[in-house]
Amino acid sequence: MAWLVCLAAAFALGCASNKPPAHQLTGDVITDGEYAIEHGPEKDRVLWHYRVALAAMRRGQFDLAKQHLDSAIARISNIYGKDESARKARGYFAAEAKKTFIGEPYERAMAYFYRGILYWRDGEPDNMRACLRSALLMDSDTEDKTYSGDYVLFDYLDGYITERLHGDGADAIKRAQAEARMWRPPDFPLAANVMVFVDYGPGPHKYATGQYAEELRFRGGKSPVVSARVTTAGIVGKAVPYDDLLFQATTRGGRAMDHVLGNKAVFKRTTDTAGTAAIIAGAVTATSGNRNAQMAGLALVGAGLITKMFSSAATPQADVRMWDNLPLYLSFVALELPPGPHTLTIEFLDAQERVVSNFTRVVQVTVPEVPQDTVVYVSDTSITPQTL
Amino acid sequence: MKMKILSASLNLAAVAFLVGCASSGVKNPSGVPVTEMKADERGFVAGTGVESQDLVAVTEKMARGILSIQQISAATTPPRVALDPVINETRFPINKDIFLTRIRTQLNSKSQGKVIFLARERMSTLEKERELKRTGQVTSTTDPTVQEFKGADYFLTGKLQGITTKTKEGTSDYVLYSFQLIDVRTSEIIWEDSAEIKKQGLEDAAYR
Repeated sequence: MAWLVCLAAAFALGCASNKPPAHQLTGDVITDGEYAIEHGPEKDRVLWHYRVALAAMRRGQFDLAKQHLDSAIARISNIYGKDESARKARGYFAAEAKKTFIGEPYERAMAYFYRGILYWRDGEPDNMRACLRSALLMDSDTEDKTYSGDYVLFDYLDGYITERLHGDGADAIKRAQAEARMWRPPDFPLAANVMVFVDYGPGPHKYATGQYAEELRFRGGKSPVVSARVTTAGIVGKAVPYDDLLFQATTRGGRAMDHVLGNKAVFKRTTDTAGTAAIIAGAVTATSGNRNAQMAGLALVGAGLITKMFSSAATPQADVRMWDNLPLYLSFVALELPPGPHTLTIEFLDAQERVVSNFTRVVQVTVPEVPQDTVVYVSDTSITPQTL
Repeated sequence: MKMKILSASLNLAAVAFLVGCASSGVKNPSGVPVTEMKADERGFVAGTGVESQDLVAVTEKMARGILSIQQISAATTPPRVALDPVINETRFPINKDIFLTRIRTQLNSKSQGKVIFLARERMSTLEKERELKRTGQVTSTTDPTVQEFKGADYFLTGKLQGITTKTKEGTSDYVLYSFQLIDVRTSEIIWEDSAEIKKQGLEDAAYR
């Protein structure tokens, strides 16, 4: 008996891990995110990079956003081959959320999209195009091929940038126009020099359902803002939604991991039922008058308990970690403005095209004399006025 | 009998305890020491994109190619070359300057002066310095009013193009790296070479 107590004490001590210094959550995504990246679990780093990057973009801290997106992309583009955390997550006794988070395809696609905006902002439209192509690839393994690589804005911008770089972007533009479900992208002028990216509405929300929360689902799609308007010195650009991220999240179809989680759920259910049956049968047998039957009954109860333990330890829960500050709708406007300072007013509109109060954002830009694109990113949650 | 059952229960409890303690843990809790690798070596962190070993292999091939052409190796006066940014048509965002920078450094270190590169990306700084000389704010060893900035004989440029395939079997990326030396006077392409690299990989099912 004593050895068992000592063993338990030794294990209890052994289980005590070194914890990072206590951190009071501030509610500020950047502060909390940077702490989590530094001290939190490695498996969640990409998730925090995503969140911090987007929060930084909305504050106009584009260099900070770049650092975080680069870190995230370096991880999500190198996921080939053996991955210990992924292997464990496929096991019966580790939850899916134990794997390194890289996000669902729509989340990975958005990481590339936002990094692309920053490349274009730095005068590298071809790297923006590269990001768009990688983003489309993220969306290419849908179950139903109708929805494969079907981001309207990504295809459109691929073609538009190619045309501006004196290539032939007609196919990509045609594809975008054919894929358009909400609005068909217009033929923005090739001479445009101010590119305005606008996004709005709350993005998809992940939740788990099923007997053991093994099924990943998405909800959302409700936004008071359904379009936007960019105005400057009498010029008006309609920033209508070209892509809906909830649509993208829900049209991917089944994942390979869903089969793994389904198997885990079957294992959990089967072992639970078998354990219960063994305990009941054992208990009945143990109450008989025969000594051998009593022993066999107790053994059966023990086996049942062990089986129940296995069932209890099985973790089929779907991973619901999510990039929770993503928008719902993606939009874009290209304007042709003369060199000099300009004030862009971005108004967000409801379904009746009324301006939604408190959402209006103002951005000051200076269009350079030299032929160079000015790239603006604004969200309905951006902190403005910003001077770019 | 009671003791046997009690003992069995305690043993089971010990097993449960062990199971409870089996945490996911931290991989490499003490970290992994820095591993110095050669730039042309494939590291243990790898994707299907453009990596350092590709850069080294491609730029060395291009530098050798440029040195071997008649217009460079047999030129009486070393030709002057300016760099024109590489065009990236792949799906991989890259630092485009890095290819031309490496070709330039390879040529500068190995050509023994057979080719001279123009520092066009420093033009604004050079112009400022010339202006300081012209206005007499700094000294000058030559007449600063004389135009001495050299024009290019050739432009060195390139293009990266790619084909990507993604199926349930994995992702395959083919990248074609092509570089050209263009005569600025005649627009003739006097040299061109290419290198191609294909990579494939399949991510864990947990990510599919």
